[in-house]
Amino acid sequence: MVAPHGVTGMLGEDGIHVDMQHLKSGEVNLGTSIMAINFKDGVILGADSRTTTGAYIANRVTDKLTQVHDTIWCCRSGSAADTQAVADIVSYHLNMYGVTNNEAPSTQVAASLFQELCYENKDALSAGIIIAGYDPRHGGQVYSIPLGGSLHKQSFAIGGSGSTYIYGYTDAHWKEQMTEQEGIDFVRSALQEAIKWDGSSGGVIRLVVLTKKGAVRHLYLPDNGYTGPGVTH
Amino acid sequence: MASLLDHSARGETVGYSFSQAAAAPVKQHGFYPYTDNGGSTLGITGSDFAILAGDTRSTSGYNINSRMVPKVFKIGGDAETGEGAHIILSVVGFAADGNALKERLDSIVKMYRYQHGKRMSVSACAQRLSTILYQKRFFPYYVTAILAGLDEEGKGALYSYDPVGSYEREQCRAAGAAASLIMPFLDNQVNFKNQYIPGSGEGHALEAKKPEPLPQDHVKQLVRDAFTSAVERHIEVGDNLQMLIATKDGIQEVFHPLKKD
Amino acid sequence: MPGFDFSNFNRNSALHARGVPLPKATSTGTTIVGCVYDGGVVIAADTRATSGPIVADKNCEKLHYIAPKIWCAGAGTAADTEFTTALISSNVELHSLSTGRDPRVITCMTMLKQHLFRYQGHIGAYLVVAGVDPTGVGLYTVHAHGSTDKLPYVTMGSGSLAAMSVFESMWQPDLDKDGAIELCSEAIKAGIFNDLGSGSNVDVCVIQKDKPTQLLRNYEKPNERGHKERNYRFPRGTTAWLNQKIISKEDMKKYVTIETLSGDDSLAERMEVDS
Repeated sequence: MVAPHGVTGMLGEDGIHVDMQHLKSGEVNLGTSIMAINFKDGVILGADSRTTTGAYIANRVTDKLTQVHDTIWCCRSGSAADTQAVADIVSYHLNMYGVTNNEAPSTQVAASLFQELCYENKDALSAGIIIAGYDPRHGGQVYSIPLGGSLHKQSFAIGGSGSTYIYGYTDAHWKEQMTEQEGIDFVRSALQEAIKWDGSSGGVIRLVVLTKKGAVRHLYLPDNGYTGPGVTH
Repeated sequence: MASLLDHSARGETVGYSFSQAAAAPVKQHGFYPYTDNGGSTLGITGSDFAILAGDTRSTSGYNINSRMVPKVFKIGGDAETGEGAHIILSVVGFAADGNALKERLDSIVKMYRYQHGKRMSVSACAQRLSTILYQKRFFPYYVTAILAGLDEEGKGALYSYDPVGSYEREQCRAAGAAASLIMPFLDNQVNFKNQYIPGSGEGHALEAKKPEPLPQDHVKQLVRDAFTSAVERHIEVGDNLQMLIATKDGIQEVFHPLKKD
Repeated sequence: MPGFDFSNFNRNSALHARGVPLPKATSTGTTIVGCVYDGGVVIAADTRATSGPIVADKNCEKLHYIAPKIWCAGAGTAADTEFTTALISSNVELHSLSTGRDPRVITCMTMLKQHLFRYQGHIGAYLVVAGVDPTGVGLYTVHAHGSTDKLPYVTMGSGSLAAMSVFESMWQPDLDKDGAIELCSEAIKAGIFNDLGSGSNVDVCVIQKDKPTQLLRNYEKPNERGHKERNYRFPRGTTAWLNQKIISKEDMKKYVTIETLSGDDSLAERMEVDS
């Protein structure tokens, strides 16, 4: 089978380009379990904290929940370098949007910016990003951008290598319009399950709760079975 | 970061050659039974002795397996103490093959003594080692061996080998990772290569310095200097220096510390 | 034209396709580490540079200056760490001059990551960036592909696993300056003795608030060369020669200017030579 010019790797059965060599050797990888959900008053983002280079854990307390505006955050998975670069660029544009229009950008604007970058540079990037935000007009919203650069608005999204283990769990336990505490418990227990089965995920569980009151960070440690300490600063 | 841990580019520099170079190398997977465990050995003979020496470091990639794995062995002696042996063997390259080769030669030399009621001569042992290596011509022992002892006249004898059994009697030989660093030093200091007698003539008439057997103390100093210097410039050489000295009185073993970085 | 020169790219690609190996760059096999303490930050490095299994430099400097209170430890391709830190050092100084403020560690880290990301990992610089600025103490790692991490203690290079094992077993949150120096030195020594890519001496750099930065070059020398047992000086006339030609100083003056320096050592610059 002949691959199109300038494309490496092989073609999958469905004709979709599959590049197995994509992560260059030595690249820092976010093995990762990430997710974001809608709940009654906003959104909750969650992630594990492990970054790996091959079998070595390069950082065991990574923060994969990245702020791109006051109440618009993202969960990063894939190449650490690529997702950091993309998040930095989006952050820059959203801040410019904020000061030029004297109005906070909507979550959809943020998600579109992410999609633009991920789709137009799909050949060079390995980034799987979940965007979640709260804005007064639309309330909480969750968007997912998987590898090819497509954009999906969802009630909740899971991503990263650990997510494969919790499709069944999240489907079975998902409820619309959960309370904040129900939502936190849902994300925390789902990530705990992903960490349990996925070797590339681990460390602590970080959460961010986004509501009209702003952003609140949570931290859950493995020392006590991911039960606390809970809210941090 | 893993690019730092990747050792594919290691080893001796490849020459620039177009003829046998294939186009884009296709990556092949499969079982590769050999490892290079690094380290270096050297041997020098004198008029009534032979010395084999080697460092005791065992490596794989950038890791140290052990700081105390001897590469020089007594052949044909007592199983535990090595007492009664009169031949010494050094092996460098793939340590597992080196050990297997040593065990084979050791049992052959012992069987020779039981069956013939006399010690095997070093020249006979040298020929036998060659056949052992050549028997595995298409799945070789991945080692560079040096065999030493005293010949029938009581003079120091040293035989060096390639992995498939080609061998030659020499005055001195360096083998292993730092061979390319040590061998020129030996050529110059043992065989006096590139050394001329000052004032002995003009131009082509200048007389070369003639090699002669060196005294034991002198040779031991050369061996130690060769290794302390190799340690400075080769990362796979270090930890300890092991020296086996074969004389008419038997085999003496000496250890000497080397740098551990 | 600014930037890199790609004029040999096509030729080199063709040569490589025909089996000519790539030139071997000097890599600083390397252990580098960094550690914060209450009033500052310490970074440290070993001093071995390798080319394959051969030691290219026994006492090289891997601690690079960025600004008076921002320093960088580099692993990976020696030339890349050298030139990347020099470039960012220049830009940091220009930035500091145009803003009229002291440079910040995070500014330096961001400039480094954006530069390295642009080159998609082809610039093989793996860095530990450390310093103090008006916002406090900063310590980051920057990988060649452009990803960064912020941690209280960090290691990089081929000896990073050995060094990290020291930090993970001995690091405490309430270290003082001397404790941090000692811990970093121990971590480097773990790399020196257990990683073949690292060796020789320990270099340390201490950066603290309201005090000048100290570069402790060869803070520890645990691997001094032993004495040679024999003397390898050849008698004059040992080397063969076929003909000789003597050029007098007067003849040379036709082509170059010759100035005789007095025997005073301070006047004539001495070349640094390995012992």
